[in-house]
Amino acid sequence: MDDVHQNLPESSTRGNLVEQRTLFVSVAPAAMPTAKPIMKPIFILSKQLAVCVLQDPRVLDSMLPYLMTYYGNPHSRTHAYGWESEAAMEKARRQVADLIGADHREIIFTSGATESNNMAIKGVARFYKSRKKHIVTTQTEHKCVLDSCRSLETEGFQVTYLPVKRNGLIDLKELEAALQPDTSLVSVMTVNNEIGVKQPIRDIGEICRAHKVFFHTDAAQAIGKIPMDVNDMKIDLMSISGHKIYGPKGVGAIYVRRRPRVRLEPLQSGGGQERGLRSGTVPTPLAVGLGAACEVAQQEMEYDHKRISLLAERLVTKIMNEVPDVVMNGDREHRYPGCVNLSFAYVEGESLLMALKDVALSSGSACTSASLEPSYVLRAIGTDEDLAHSSIRFGIGRFTTEEEVDYTVQKCIQHVKRLREMSPLWEMVQDGIDLKSIKWTQH
Amino acid sequence: MAASVAARGGGAVTRRLLRGAARGLRGAGGGGGAAAEPDGDGAAAEPAGAVVNVVFVDRAGRRVPVRGRVGDNVLHLAQRHGLELEGACEASLACSTCHVYVSQTHLDRLPAPDEREDDLLDMAPLLQENSRLGCQIVLTPELEGAEFTLPKVTRNFYVDGHVPKPH
Repeated sequence: MDDVHQNLPESSTRGNLVEQRTLFVSVAPAAMPTAKPIMKPIFILSKQLAVCVLQDPRVLDSMLPYLMTYYGNPHSRTHAYGWESEAAMEKARRQVADLIGADHREIIFTSGATESNNMAIKGVARFYKSRKKHIVTTQTEHKCVLDSCRSLETEGFQVTYLPVKRNGLIDLKELEAALQPDTSLVSVMTVNNEIGVKQPIRDIGEICRAHKVFFHTDAAQAIGKIPMDVNDMKIDLMSISGHKIYGPKGVGAIYVRRRPRVRLEPLQSGGGQERGLRSGTVPTPLAVGLGAACEVAQQEMEYDHKRISLLAERLVTKIMNEVPDVVMNGDREHRYPGCVNLSFAYVEGESLLMALKDVALSSGSACTSASLEPSYVLRAIGTDEDLAHSSIRFGIGRFTTEEEVDYTVQKCIQHVKRLREMSPLWEMVQDGIDLKSIKWTQH
Repeated sequence: MAASVAARGGGAVTRRLLRGAARGLRGAGGGGGAAAEPDGDGAAAEPAGAVVNVVFVDRAGRRVPVRGRVGDNVLHLAQRHGLELEGACEASLACSTCHVYVSQTHLDRLPAPDEREDDLLDMAPLLQENSRLGCQIVLTPELEGAEFTLPKVTRNFYVDGHVPKPH
């Protein structure tokens, strides 16, 4: 019997959701009788959850009216079409604010967490540049944060990229020591998208508040999954992503504190929408979707967390019991359970991914999947380069089923064993040779 | 009647009465509180109405020294001296056209902005750390020597160079 569901509270919508989803998959090519059905993987979308997720059907339901009937511009002040769109947009704003303990006036809609991160970092830095020229961040941030910092360095700002410990967490004493009188911003992500590690946000907030430095956190992987409160955690700016919490792609938000007021130089100039910080028409259907996703996440958070923890435990335990020489990257305790990063020694990562192609996994995150460099996050936690190449990230989420986890585990074990059989390195290790002692020659 | 007495060179009492009347009018326009300001040089007889010298820097960078008085509203003072501060909402905290930069040393001597003023400042282009709304600044003796710089643009998109008349 289903040991996953045994001790969990009943959720009346749960059964409906699973049914809906299975229906979704089997109906596929009915509308296109002449098209050859694509070999769709059975367990689609289950493992790419850290990257992008299936939209929750409740979110889709909330968006449809605004895609079909209520198509007014929310900034049109003079007619009912505008008013109803504006009402929907403001409702969504409140839903986002409620999830993080903010005031609705502190939420600005953007095109996603990448834009929010750019706004926070470049915006704050440039506004205060007459007096403050220093920014502190970590080496494991998302690429958009690191790239924004690099671009600021070309503008004459100074950036400190804090190293992390082997478990992926920053050292609070190092953070405090890095703060200077001319530091305008500290940016540390809440949950890392590659290794799932959760930084001590409340402690960082305390330090920043004490030194009167603004604290920005990229919470794209965290909100809706773990409780966040901007006042309790003393957060001044926060980036939010729609598609990480079962909402639509192409929308996100940024939280900008009003008391004490944080000012930003806007990246996008125009008609002054969104408090002058982000001009441009707010996409009502997407904003409504984001709001609904936040509300649903707030309701489901506790249940999801318990269920995902159990599934993650199941995945990791089963793999590690069957297969030796597997390393879990990132702190075991301070983490979000739904993002598991495992390194399989003596196995080539891309080969394993291709072998597991009917499960949508990744090595590194989606934004690095086109590049050849191994993950800089893994390098920052001190992972050896060969181990970094053989790392796989498993994402477990609201719609992941136990069957999917078991299937993935079984395939993973099977292919790791197969690839190791083929691996000369594995053979050498079995013979007791210390690989580090070998001098490899170049041809 | 009182005005004609003053015109004929009436006495100190009359002058004081007239100044008081003018102050009352200015106080109503500028947000009150001026009558309570203590005089800087200790002459207790004239609690308000003492001169405060400030400098306006207009949008072209020209310096315009102005003799203001304690209790003057900076927006109206600027308008009286021909500076291009529109004041579209007539000092009712509903626009950002009176946006000025305050000199760094005098910035801290102003009372903290109201939340509504901060909200409107958010909408002003070319915002800086020393930005304030002119209609919310009331002259006090501590603002002696303050410089109010007009930003290059306001929220109005008069890229053809049109300057709206003060409201």
